[in-house]
Amino acid sequence: MVNGFMPLSLKEALDIRSAHEVIPYGGGTDLMIQGNTDDCYLFLNRIPEMKKIYEDETYLRIGGSSTFTEVLASPLVPKLMKEAVSRIAAPAIRNAGTMAGNIGNGSAKADSVLIAYVADAKLRLLSAKGERIVPIAEFYKGRKQLDLGSDELIVEILLPRHGLENYYYKKVGGRKALAISRISFAGVIQIEQGVIRHLAVAFGAVADTVLRFPELEKIFEGKTLAEAHEERRSFVETYAQQLHLTKGRVSAEYRKEVCMNLLQDFLDVKGI
Amino acid sequence: MKESICFTLNGKETLYTGSPAFRLLDVLRDEYRLTSVKCGCKEGECGACSVILDGELVNSCMIAMGRCEGSTIVTLEGFRTTERFAVIDKAYAAVSAVQCGYCIPGMVLATEALLTKLPHPTEEEIREGLSGNLCRCTGYNAIVKAVQIAAEEGNGLW
Repeated sequence: MVNGFMPLSLKEALDIRSAHEVIPYGGGTDLMIQGNTDDCYLFLNRIPEMKKIYEDETYLRIGGSSTFTEVLASPLVPKLMKEAVSRIAAPAIRNAGTMAGNIGNGSAKADSVLIAYVADAKLRLLSAKGERIVPIAEFYKGRKQLDLGSDELIVEILLPRHGLENYYYKKVGGRKALAISRISFAGVIQIEQGVIRHLAVAFGAVADTVLRFPELEKIFEGKTLAEAHEERRSFVETYAQQLHLTKGRVSAEYRKEVCMNLLQDFLDVKGI
Repeated sequence: MKESICFTLNGKETLYTGSPAFRLLDVLRDEYRLTSVKCGCKEGECGACSVILDGELVNSCMIAMGRCEGSTIVTLEGFRTTERFAVIDKAYAAVSAVQCGYCIPGMVLATEALLTKLPHPTEEEIREGLSGNLCRCTGYNAIVKAVQIAAEEGNGLW
Protein backbone atom coordinates (compact mmCIF):
# COMPACT_ATOMS: atom_id res chain seq x y z
CA MET A 1 0.00 0.00 0.00
CA VAL A 2 2.34 2.71 -1.23
CA ASN A 3 -0.12 5.40 -2.25
CA GLY A 4 -1.82 6.31 0.96
CA PHE A 5 -1.11 7.08 4.60
CA MET A 6 -3.75 7.08 7.33
CA PRO A 7 -2.13 8.59 10.43
CA LEU A 8 -3.88 8.78 13.81
CA SER A 9 -1.90 11.64 15.33
CA LEU A 10 -0.58 15.00 14.22
CA LYS A 11 3.01 13.98 14.93
CA GLU A 12 2.69 10.91 12.75
CA ALA A 13 1.10 12.99 9.97
CA LEU A 14 3.89 15.59 10.09
CA ASP A 15 6.59 12.90 10.02
CA ILE A 16 4.99 11.32 6.95
CA ARG A 17 4.56 14.74 5.32
CA SER A 18 8.28 15.47 5.67
CA ALA A 19 9.50 12.00 4.67
CA HIS A 20 7.29 11.35 1.63
CA GLU A 21 5.84 13.12 -1.34
CA VAL A 22 2.18 13.18 -0.40
CA ILE A 23 -0.94 15.19 -1.15
CA PRO A 24 -2.82 16.24 2.01
CA TYR A 25 -6.35 14.83 1.76
CA GLY A 26 -9.05 16.65 3.72
CA GLY A 27 -12.48 15.64 2.44
CA GLY A 28 -11.53 14.75 -1.12
CA THR A 29 -14.30 16.82 -2.67
CA ASP A 30 -11.88 18.78 -4.84
CA LEU A 31 -9.07 16.22 -5.15
CA MET A 32 -11.30 13.38 -6.33
CA ILE A 33 -12.60 15.30 -9.32
CA GLN A 34 -9.22 14.50 -10.88
CA GLY A 35 -9.00 11.34 -8.83
CA ASN A 36 -5.57 10.37 -10.10
CA THR A 37 -4.99 6.86 -8.75
CA ASP A 38 -1.22 7.34 -8.88
CA ASP A 39 -1.40 10.12 -6.30
CA CYS A 40 -0.22 9.33 -2.81
CA TYR A 41 -2.63 10.80 -0.28
CA LEU A 42 -2.07 11.72 3.34
CA PHE A 43 -5.53 11.21 4.88
CA LEU A 44 -6.15 13.77 7.61
CA ASN A 45 -9.63 12.84 8.78
CA ARG A 46 -8.63 10.93 11.90
CA ILE A 47 -6.25 13.38 13.53
CA PRO A 48 -7.91 14.63 16.73
CA GLU A 49 -5.82 17.84 16.87
CA MET A 50 -7.18 18.84 13.46
CA LYS A 51 -10.84 18.17 14.28
CA LYS A 52 -11.25 20.57 17.21
CA ILE A 53 -13.07 23.90 17.17
CA TYR A 54 -12.28 25.91 20.30
CA GLU A 55 -11.45 29.36 21.63
CA ASP A 56 -8.35 30.61 23.39
CA GLU A 57 -7.79 34.15 24.70
CA THR A 58 -7.16 35.58 21.26
CA TYR A 59 -8.65 33.36 18.59
CA LEU A 60 -11.38 31.03 17.55
CA ARG A 61 -9.37 28.03 16.36
CA ILE A 62 -10.97 25.85 13.71
CA GLY A 63 -9.18 22.55 13.10
CA GLY A 64 -8.28 22.12 9.45
CA SER A 65 -10.02 18.75 9.18
CA SER A 66 -13.32 20.12 10.50
CA THR A 67 -15.97 19.44 7.87
CA PHE A 68 -18.30 22.20 6.74
CA THR A 69 -21.13 20.39 8.53
CA GLU A 70 -19.12 20.43 11.78
CA VAL A 71 -18.42 24.15 11.34
CA LEU A 72 -22.15 24.78 10.87
CA ALA A 73 -22.92 22.80 14.03
CA SER A 74 -20.43 24.66 16.24
CA PRO A 75 -21.90 27.35 18.51
CA LEU A 76 -18.51 29.11 18.46
CA VAL A 77 -18.27 29.83 14.74
CA PRO A 78 -19.42 33.36 13.77
CA LYS A 79 -22.62 33.75 11.78
CA LEU A 80 -20.81 35.27 8.81
CA MET A 81 -18.63 32.17 8.35
CA LYS A 82 -21.64 29.91 8.78
CA GLU A 83 -23.62 31.81 6.20
CA ALA A 84 -20.85 31.38 3.61
CA VAL A 85 -20.22 27.73 4.49
CA SER A 86 -23.94 26.94 4.32
CA ARG A 87 -23.89 28.05 0.68
CA ILE A 88 -21.17 25.56 -0.28
CA ALA A 89 -22.49 22.89 -2.65
CA ALA A 90 -25.03 20.58 -0.94
CA PRO A 91 -25.27 18.53 2.28
CA ALA A 92 -23.27 15.52 1.03
CA ILE A 93 -20.35 17.73 -0.01
CA ARG A 94 -20.54 19.72 3.23
CA ASN A 95 -20.41 16.45 5.17
CA ALA A 96 -17.07 15.58 3.53
CA GLY A 97 -15.33 18.83 2.56
CA THR A 98 -13.02 20.43 5.11
CA MET A 99 -11.87 23.92 6.05
CA ALA A 100 -8.17 23.26 5.33
CA GLY A 101 -9.13 21.61 2.06
CA ASN A 102 -11.10 24.67 0.97
CA ILE A 103 -7.98 26.77 1.60
CA GLY A 104 -5.39 24.30 0.30
CA ASN A 105 -7.21 23.82 -2.99
CA GLY A 106 -6.07 27.36 -3.72
CA SER A 107 -9.18 28.67 -5.46
CA ALA A 108 -10.26 32.30 -5.21
CA LYS A 109 -13.82 30.99 -5.46
CA ALA A 110 -13.62 29.09 -2.16
CA ASP A 111 -16.55 30.36 -0.10
CA SER A 112 -14.91 30.03 3.33
CA VAL A 113 -11.70 31.71 2.10
CA LEU A 114 -13.58 34.93 1.31
CA ILE A 115 -14.59 35.10 4.96
CA ALA A 116 -11.08 34.26 6.14
CA TYR A 117 -9.88 37.28 4.13
CA VAL A 118 -12.46 39.76 5.39
CA ALA A 119 -11.89 38.54 8.95
CA ASP A 120 -8.08 38.86 8.78
CA ALA A 121 -7.79 35.18 9.62
CA LYS A 122 -4.43 33.56 10.11
CA LEU A 123 -3.35 30.04 9.33
CA ARG A 124 -1.44 27.87 11.75
CA LEU A 125 0.93 25.81 9.66
CA LEU A 126 2.93 23.00 11.20
CA SER A 127 5.81 20.89 10.01
CA ALA A 128 8.02 18.44 11.87
CA LYS A 129 10.40 21.39 12.28
CA GLY A 130 7.96 23.80 13.86
CA GLU A 131 5.11 26.26 13.54
CA ARG A 132 4.35 29.25 11.33
CA ILE A 133 1.39 31.61 11.73
CA VAL A 134 0.61 33.20 8.36
CA PRO A 135 -2.06 35.83 7.59
CA ILE A 136 -4.44 34.47 4.94
CA ALA A 137 -3.68 37.27 2.46
CA GLU A 138 0.03 36.40 2.58
CA PHE A 139 -0.67 32.69 2.27
CA TYR A 140 -2.14 33.21 -1.21
CA LYS A 141 0.70 34.38 -3.41
CA GLY A 142 -1.12 34.13 -6.73
CA ARG A 143 -3.35 31.83 -8.71
CA LYS A 144 -3.02 28.42 -7.03
CA GLN A 145 0.26 29.66 -5.49
CA LEU A 146 0.34 28.98 -1.77
CA ASP A 147 2.89 29.77 0.90
CA LEU A 148 2.89 26.15 2.04
CA GLY A 149 6.06 24.09 2.32
CA SER A 150 6.07 20.52 1.02
CA ASP A 151 6.52 19.42 4.65
CA GLU A 152 3.75 21.63 6.09
CA LEU A 153 0.08 21.09 6.89
CA ILE A 154 -2.70 23.65 7.45
CA VAL A 155 -3.54 22.60 10.99
CA GLU A 156 -5.82 25.41 12.19
CA ILE A 157 -7.63 28.46 10.89
CA LEU A 158 -7.45 31.29 13.44
CA LEU A 159 -10.35 33.74 13.42
CA PRO A 160 -10.68 36.81 15.63
CA ARG A 161 -13.14 36.14 18.44
CA HIS A 162 -15.04 39.40 17.93
CA GLY A 163 -15.71 41.99 15.29
CA LEU A 164 -17.58 40.02 12.62
CA GLU A 165 -21.04 40.61 14.03
CA ASN A 166 -22.00 43.51 11.75
CA TYR A 167 -21.52 42.08 8.29
CA TYR A 168 -22.84 41.93 4.75
CA TYR A 169 -22.49 38.82 2.59
CA LYS A 170 -23.65 37.89 -0.89
CA LYS A 171 -22.85 34.93 -3.08
CA VAL A 172 -23.79 35.12 -6.73
CA GLY A 173 -24.05 31.65 -8.24
CA GLY A 174 -25.83 30.04 -11.15
CA ARG A 175 -28.36 28.22 -8.96
CA LYS A 176 -29.37 27.80 -5.34
CA ALA A 177 -27.49 24.59 -4.52
CA LEU A 178 -24.34 23.03 -5.98
CA ALA A 179 -23.30 26.47 -7.17
CA ILE A 180 -19.73 27.58 -7.67
CA SER A 181 -19.47 31.27 -6.81
CA ARG A 182 -19.44 33.54 -9.84
CA ILE A 183 -18.89 36.49 -7.58
CA SER A 184 -18.81 36.56 -3.80
CA PHE A 185 -18.66 39.59 -1.56
CA ALA A 186 -18.23 40.12 2.15
CA GLY A 187 -18.10 43.35 4.11
CA VAL A 188 -17.56 43.88 7.82
CA ILE A 189 -17.98 47.11 9.74
CA GLN A 190 -17.48 48.08 13.37
CA ILE A 191 -19.21 51.24 14.53
CA GLU A 192 -18.83 52.68 18.02
CA GLN A 193 -21.02 55.61 19.04
CA GLY A 194 -21.59 56.53 15.42
CA VAL A 195 -17.89 56.39 14.51
CA ILE A 196 -16.51 53.80 12.11
CA ARG A 197 -13.71 51.96 13.89
CA HIS A 198 -13.06 49.27 11.31
CA LEU A 199 -14.20 48.43 7.83
CA ALA A 200 -13.19 45.49 5.64
CA VAL A 201 -14.35 44.51 2.16
CA ALA A 202 -13.41 41.35 0.27
CA PHE A 203 -14.24 40.22 -3.25
CA GLY A 204 -14.12 36.52 -4.14
CA ALA A 205 -14.12 34.58 -7.41
CA VAL A 206 -13.15 37.60 -9.52
CA ALA A 207 -9.35 37.40 -9.74
CA ASP A 208 -6.45 35.03 -9.06
CA THR A 209 -6.94 35.41 -5.31
CA VAL A 210 -9.59 36.93 -3.09
CA LEU A 211 -9.12 40.73 -3.24
CA ARG A 212 -8.91 43.25 -0.42
CA PHE A 213 -7.63 46.81 -0.38
CA PRO A 214 -6.65 47.67 3.20
CA GLU A 215 -5.47 51.17 2.30
CA LEU A 216 -8.91 52.03 0.89
CA GLU A 217 -10.69 50.56 3.90
CA LYS A 218 -8.79 52.96 6.16
CA ILE A 219 -10.34 56.00 4.42
CA PHE A 220 -13.49 55.65 6.54
CA GLU A 221 -11.83 54.74 9.83
CA GLY A 222 -12.41 57.31 12.57
CA LYS A 223 -15.19 58.99 10.60
CA THR A 224 -18.84 59.28 11.49
CA LEU A 225 -21.38 57.64 9.20
CA ALA A 226 -22.37 61.11 7.97
CA GLU A 227 -18.75 62.03 7.21
CA ALA A 228 -18.25 58.73 5.41
CA HIS A 229 -21.39 59.39 3.40
CA GLU A 230 -19.91 62.69 2.25
CA GLU A 231 -16.88 60.85 0.88
CA ARG A 232 -18.77 57.87 -0.44
CA ARG A 233 -18.61 58.83 -4.09
CA SER A 234 -14.82 59.14 -4.17
CA PHE A 235 -14.49 55.99 -2.06
CA VAL A 236 -16.51 54.00 -4.60
CA GLU A 237 -14.65 55.53 -7.53
CA THR A 238 -11.32 54.54 -6.03
CA TYR A 239 -12.53 50.97 -5.73
CA ALA A 240 -13.66 51.07 -9.35
CA GLN A 241 -10.14 52.14 -10.36
CA GLN A 242 -8.44 49.47 -8.24
CA LEU A 243 -10.58 46.48 -9.16
CA HIS A 244 -8.75 44.76 -11.98
CA LEU A 245 -10.71 41.60 -12.54
CA THR A 246 -10.04 38.59 -14.71
CA LYS A 247 -12.41 36.79 -17.04
CA GLY A 248 -13.69 33.44 -15.80
CA ARG A 249 -16.92 31.60 -16.44
CA VAL A 250 -18.37 35.09 -16.71
CA SER A 251 -16.81 38.19 -18.27
CA ALA A 252 -14.56 40.61 -16.40
CA GLU A 253 -17.04 43.41 -17.18
CA TYR A 254 -19.92 41.51 -15.57
CA ARG A 255 -17.79 40.73 -12.54
CA LYS A 256 -16.83 44.38 -12.19
CA GLU A 257 -20.41 45.61 -12.44
CA VAL A 258 -21.67 43.12 -9.87
CA CYS A 259 -18.77 43.87 -7.48
CA MET A 260 -19.51 47.58 -7.65
CA ASN A 261 -23.25 46.99 -7.15
CA LEU A 262 -22.53 44.86 -4.09
CA LEU A 263 -20.14 47.44 -2.67
CA GLN A 264 -22.82 50.12 -3.10
CA ASP A 265 -25.45 47.89 -1.50
CA PHE A 266 -23.12 47.16 1.44
CA LEU A 267 -22.67 50.90 2.02
CA ASP A 268 -26.43 51.50 1.69
CA VAL A 269 -27.31 48.78 4.14
CA LYS A 270 -24.74 49.96 6.69
CA GLY A 271 -25.96 53.57 6.55
CA ILE A 272 -23.04 55.17 4.69
CA MET B 1 2.19 1.29 6.79
CA LYS B 2 -1.09 -0.63 6.92
CA GLU B 3 -1.59 -3.36 4.37
CA SER B 4 -5.37 -3.21 4.25
CA ILE B 5 -8.30 -0.91 4.91
CA CYS B 6 -10.80 -2.14 7.46
CA PHE B 7 -14.37 -0.85 7.49
CA THR B 8 -17.94 -1.97 8.08
CA LEU B 9 -19.97 -2.32 4.90
CA ASN B 10 -23.69 -2.87 5.27
CA GLY B 11 -23.11 -4.39 8.70
CA LYS B 12 -20.21 -6.67 7.71
CA GLU B 13 -16.58 -6.25 8.72
CA THR B 14 -14.73 -5.76 5.45
CA LEU B 15 -11.03 -5.84 4.59
CA TYR B 16 -10.06 -4.04 1.43
CA THR B 17 -6.57 -4.65 0.10
CA GLY B 18 -6.59 -2.45 -3.02
CA SER B 19 -5.27 1.06 -3.46
CA PRO B 20 -6.24 3.75 -0.90
CA ALA B 21 -6.45 6.20 -3.81
CA PHE B 22 -9.27 4.34 -5.55
CA ARG B 23 -12.75 5.83 -5.47
CA LEU B 24 -15.23 4.37 -3.02
CA LEU B 25 -17.82 4.50 -5.83
CA ASP B 26 -15.76 2.24 -8.12
CA VAL B 27 -14.84 -0.15 -5.32
CA LEU B 28 -18.46 -0.51 -4.16
CA ARG B 29 -19.66 -1.28 -7.68
CA ASP B 30 -16.77 -3.30 -9.09
CA GLU B 31 -15.36 -5.12 -6.08
CA TYR B 32 -18.47 -5.57 -3.91
CA ARG B 33 -21.07 -5.53 -6.72
CA LEU B 34 -23.23 -2.99 -4.87
CA THR B 35 -24.77 -1.61 -8.04
CA SER B 36 -27.45 0.51 -6.38
CA VAL B 37 -24.63 3.03 -6.14
CA LYS B 38 -24.81 4.83 -9.49
CA CYS B 39 -22.12 6.74 -11.31
CA GLY B 40 -23.69 9.91 -12.65
CA CYS B 41 -21.06 12.64 -12.83
CA LYS B 42 -17.93 11.68 -10.84
CA GLU B 43 -17.64 15.23 -9.53
CA GLY B 44 -20.12 15.50 -6.68
CA GLU B 45 -22.77 17.29 -8.71
CA CYS B 46 -25.56 14.73 -8.99
CA GLY B 47 -25.87 12.60 -5.84
CA ALA B 48 -26.54 9.34 -7.72
CA CYS B 49 -23.59 7.71 -5.91
CA SER B 50 -24.75 8.78 -2.41
CA VAL B 51 -23.96 6.47 0.48
CA ILE B 52 -24.09 6.94 4.24
CA LEU B 53 -20.66 7.11 5.85
CA ASP B 54 -20.57 7.22 9.64
CA GLY B 55 -24.17 8.42 9.66
CA GLU B 56 -23.65 11.23 7.13
CA LEU B 57 -24.68 11.37 3.50
CA VAL B 58 -21.64 11.58 1.20
CA ASN B 59 -20.97 11.26 -2.51
CA SER B 60 -18.97 8.04 -2.94
CA CYS B 61 -17.36 9.41 -6.12
CA MET B 62 -15.61 12.03 -3.96
CA ILE B 63 -14.21 9.62 -1.37
CA ALA B 64 -10.91 7.78 -1.69
CA MET B 65 -10.69 4.37 -0.01
CA GLY B 66 -8.08 5.56 2.50
CA ARG B 67 -10.74 7.87 3.97
CA CYS B 68 -12.86 4.80 4.77
CA GLU B 69 -10.47 3.19 7.25
CA GLY B 70 -12.37 2.53 10.47
CA SER B 71 -15.65 3.84 9.10
CA THR B 72 -19.15 2.44 8.72
CA ILE B 73 -20.71 2.56 5.26
CA VAL B 74 -24.30 1.85 4.33
CA THR B 75 -25.53 1.56 0.74
CA LEU B 76 -29.11 1.07 -0.35
CA GLU B 77 -28.50 -2.71 -0.32
CA GLY B 78 -27.87 -2.49 3.42
CA PHE B 79 -30.54 0.08 4.15
CA ARG B 80 -33.33 -1.77 2.36
CA THR B 81 -33.55 -4.37 5.15
CA THR B 82 -34.74 -1.72 7.63
CA GLU B 83 -38.21 -0.72 8.69
CA ARG B 84 -37.40 2.88 7.79
CA PHE B 85 -36.69 1.83 4.22
CA ALA B 86 -40.09 0.14 4.00
CA VAL B 87 -41.76 3.41 4.97
CA ILE B 88 -39.77 5.44 2.44
CA ASP B 89 -40.32 2.82 -0.28
CA LYS B 90 -44.08 2.89 0.25
CA ALA B 91 -44.18 6.69 0.31
CA TYR B 92 -42.22 7.03 -2.95
CA ALA B 93 -44.51 4.48 -4.60
CA ALA B 94 -47.67 6.14 -3.28
CA VAL B 95 -47.05 9.38 -5.16
CA SER B 96 -45.15 7.92 -8.15
CA ALA B 97 -41.97 9.69 -7.12
CA VAL B 98 -39.93 7.28 -9.25
CA GLN B 99 -39.67 7.33 -13.00
CA CYS B 100 -36.40 6.08 -14.54
CA GLY B 101 -35.06 5.23 -11.10
CA TYR B 102 -31.42 6.18 -11.63
CA CYS B 103 -31.37 8.86 -8.92
CA ILE B 104 -33.55 6.93 -6.51
CA PRO B 105 -30.95 5.02 -4.44
CA GLY B 106 -29.32 8.38 -3.72
CA MET B 107 -32.68 10.05 -3.09
CA VAL B 108 -33.72 7.33 -0.64
CA LEU B 109 -30.45 7.61 1.31
CA ALA B 110 -30.71 11.42 1.27
CA THR B 111 -34.24 11.00 2.68
CA GLU B 112 -32.92 8.70 5.41
CA ALA B 113 -30.09 11.13 6.26
CA LEU B 114 -32.51 14.06 6.37
CA LEU B 115 -35.13 12.34 8.52
CA THR B 116 -32.43 11.11 10.90
CA LYS B 117 -31.47 14.75 11.55
CA LEU B 118 -34.94 16.27 11.19
CA PRO B 119 -37.75 13.75 11.74
CA HIS B 120 -40.40 16.36 10.84
CA PRO B 121 -38.84 18.61 8.21
CA THR B 122 -40.55 21.57 6.58
CA GLU B 123 -40.85 21.61 2.79
CA GLU B 124 -37.90 24.01 2.64
CA GLU B 125 -35.80 21.69 4.80
CA ILE B 126 -36.70 18.76 2.54
CA ARG B 127 -35.64 20.69 -0.55
CA GLU B 128 -32.39 21.67 1.18
CA GLY B 129 -31.79 18.09 2.31
CA LEU B 130 -32.25 16.76 -1.23
CA SER B 131 -30.49 19.68 -2.92
CA GLY B 132 -27.43 17.66 -3.92
CA ASN B 133 -29.47 14.92 -5.56
CA LEU B 134 -30.54 15.63 -9.09
CA CYS B 135 -33.55 14.04 -10.79
CA ARG B 136 -34.20 14.75 -14.46
CA CYS B 137 -37.58 12.95 -14.61
CA THR B 138 -39.91 14.02 -11.85
CA GLY B 139 -39.48 17.74 -11.35
CA TYR B 140 -38.93 17.02 -7.63
CA ASN B 141 -42.42 17.85 -6.36
CA ALA B 142 -43.43 14.20 -6.14
CA ILE B 143 -40.19 13.35 -4.33
CA VAL B 144 -40.70 16.17 -1.83
CA LYS B 145 -44.24 14.92 -1.26
CA ALA B 146 -42.92 11.37 -0.75
CA VAL B 147 -40.53 12.59 1.94
CA GLN B 148 -43.40 14.41 3.68
CA ILE B 149 -45.47 11.23 3.63
CA ALA B 150 -42.54 9.15 4.90
CA ALA B 151 -42.05 11.61 7.79
CA GLU B 152 -45.73 11.31 8.73
CA GLU B 153 -46.09 7.57 8.24
CA GLY B 154 -42.78 6.77 9.88
CA ASN B 155 -43.52 8.89 12.92
CA GLY B 156 -41.30 7.58 15.73
CA LEU B 157 -38.95 5.57 13.50
CA TRP B 158 -36.53 8.46 13.13
